[in-house]
Amino acid sequence: MMYDRIMIGAGLYGLYAALFCGKRGENVLVIEQDGSAFPRATYSNQARVHMGYHYPRSISTALKSRGYFDKFNEDYGFCIQSEFEKIYAISANFSWTSAEQFKKFCADSNIRCDEVSSDRFFKPGMCEGTFVTTEYAYDAALLRAHLLAEIEKYPNISIQYNAKIERIINNGDRYTFELADGNKPEAGFVLNATYASVNQIHAMLDFPMLQIKYELCEIILCKPAKPLHDVGITVMDGAFFSIMPFGKTGLHSLTSVTFTPHVASFESVPTFDCQARSGGYCTPTRLGNCNQCPAKPESAWPYMSSLAKKYLKEEYGFEYVQSLFSIKPILKASEIDDSRPTVIRRHSDTPRFVSVLSGKINTVYEIEEELMA
Amino acid sequence: MSYKQQNFVSAVIYVHDDENTVEASIKTVHAVLAENFEKFEIICVNDASTDNTKQIIKGIGAGMENCMVSILNMSYYQGLEASMRAGVDLAIGDFVFEFDKAVVDFEPGLIMQLYNRALQGYDIVSCGSGAGRVSSRLFYSIYNRFSATQHMLQSETFRVISRRGINRVNSLSVTAPYRKAIYANCGLKIDYIKYKPTHAGSGKQMLKNPQDTALNTLIIFSDIAYKITMFFTVLMMLLTLAVVGYVIAIYVMGNPIEGYTTMMILISVSFFGVFGILTMIIKYLSLMLGLIFNRQKYVIESIEKITG
Repeated sequence: MMYDRIMIGAGLYGLYAALFCGKRGENVLVIEQDGSAFPRATYSNQARVHMGYHYPRSISTALKSRGYFDKFNEDYGFCIQSEFEKIYAISANFSWTSAEQFKKFCADSNIRCDEVSSDRFFKPGMCEGTFVTTEYAYDAALLRAHLLAEIEKYPNISIQYNAKIERIINNGDRYTFELADGNKPEAGFVLNATYASVNQIHAMLDFPMLQIKYELCEIILCKPAKPLHDVGITVMDGAFFSIMPFGKTGLHSLTSVTFTPHVASFESVPTFDCQARSGGYCTPTRLGNCNQCPAKPESAWPYMSSLAKKYLKEEYGFEYVQSLFSIKPILKASEIDDSRPTVIRRHSDTPRFVSVLSGKINTVYEIEEELMA
Repeated sequence: MSYKQQNFVSAVIYVHDDENTVEASIKTVHAVLAENFEKFEIICVNDASTDNTKQIIKGIGAGMENCMVSILNMSYYQGLEASMRAGVDLAIGDFVFEFDKAVVDFEPGLIMQLYNRALQGYDIVSCGSGAGRVSSRLFYSIYNRFSATQHMLQSETFRVISRRGINRVNSLSVTAPYRKAIYANCGLKIDYIKYKPTHAGSGKQMLKNPQDTALNTLIIFSDIAYKITMFFTVLMMLLTLAVVGYVIAIYVMGNPIEGYTTMMILISVSFFGVFGILTMIIKYLSLMLGLIFNRQKYVIESIEKITG
């Protein structure tokens, strides 16, 4: 079957691209390995609509985040949780940034930062500066429901779930996919929006690998105590933690720089010890979904909760609900300045093959240019 | 299966060129904690070791289950005090063990003995064998004699501190040069367990500038320096007054050399004034020292609510 476009991966980037092209009347197929949309990174993350506060050591990332923040909120306001106070605090010890530097950074990038007393949230002496900021969280479930409902309106967009790609062949003017179920969809344009699997797709086509390392990450969903309910708190800049509303679910997501990543892989394709225990479900050539994996790691809840409790005053308590695991690719170049650039790379012109790798949802607009070209 | 403690504990171990003893120390601590706690962490504060200490820690840390071993590397040699403060700042446990040296000269069971004592309501429980260098013992006796502390200081091998204790210490002062004195002065319940060493420990001095630290601690936590200076200024003032009396006596009784009386009176009165000003300056300084190091007006142990 011939399509105008094939998008690999039904995460935000794949579905957004499908809808964008579908609206222009093109025939689009989305190929998804799992049984539903948003099964991995788009759902299993902090749900942060980035405003740039996170990157005090990379003003370029901060400025770009800032630019798309308003547009994303306008377009997807229904899934945005904005009814909470977002606190950024600078740890008194071991931080790479001081409170003064953070203030200057906010002023330079023109983002809000109102200083409040650290005693309001933290135990004495733990934080040297505490700031009220503006940052929102999106609700992945609502966003997915909205995108799927929109896609439903366009008969020219179809999504194939549970699709295992066996081979991708360049046939001169089109790429032909060979799927495990025998289907052979083809298109002159392919968007690789598979996030952690980006290099696994590249390996099928002998494209150059992106220089990334992989981390198996855990996000903990927890039930916040009442005072914490309308507050999101991030302690920076270094090995600290973040606890903030998980969309509109009423739960908070808890992450920590030290304990969220369980294991790392420095191979060009994600290679982990736990894959051997997954019974073939997950391999270096095809990543499984960690949440369904029999070999998923034990939760780091004791560590993450202890770290957060060390900083937070007693009344800002929280209880364990559930862990979400996923593989996160990190560009090796961004280790030092902690930047998170959105990588868009065109590997061939006719037929066209474009890969996108981004860790932020509000830079989704950046792929439009490639889709129109 | 035995019941394990749900509390999360951290063990902070100070290491500095300890390649011969570090492995046994970490393994002892790990064995005791693994037997008694669900989850815990071990933080090795590596104070710029130049031998194989770091590699040894990495080697044993990798194989330890249910426990996170981290190494906190100090940028350059900073001594026990600064290094341990960094290690305790990094620790996330509900209770934190501080091992001041990577040498085990105690029965492993002592670790849990301290922890159980802490559970009885003691925020800081330390232990020591009483052994120590002559200079340390001299320091402790001077300190204990002249400070108004509620607890005696003695040489300690390791201790356990509750999170509440750490918070209290953080709110007291972060700049005091000597943790043990801060702990002893934090106003919470503390306890000391004395044990018999299993073998003679090393008398290694780990403070960066032991004499400085001792002197600073005495000045800050005891009034010995203030007392000495006050004694001398008062003595000097009395001396100048005596000189004035002597000059007047010479003037009345005999016939002094021209100008001698005026000169001596002027000098004596001036010196009297100088010593008076010095007394005030010392008083001011000690007041300021008190203000800087005692940011909280009072320290309380606990509040008990008794309802009828």
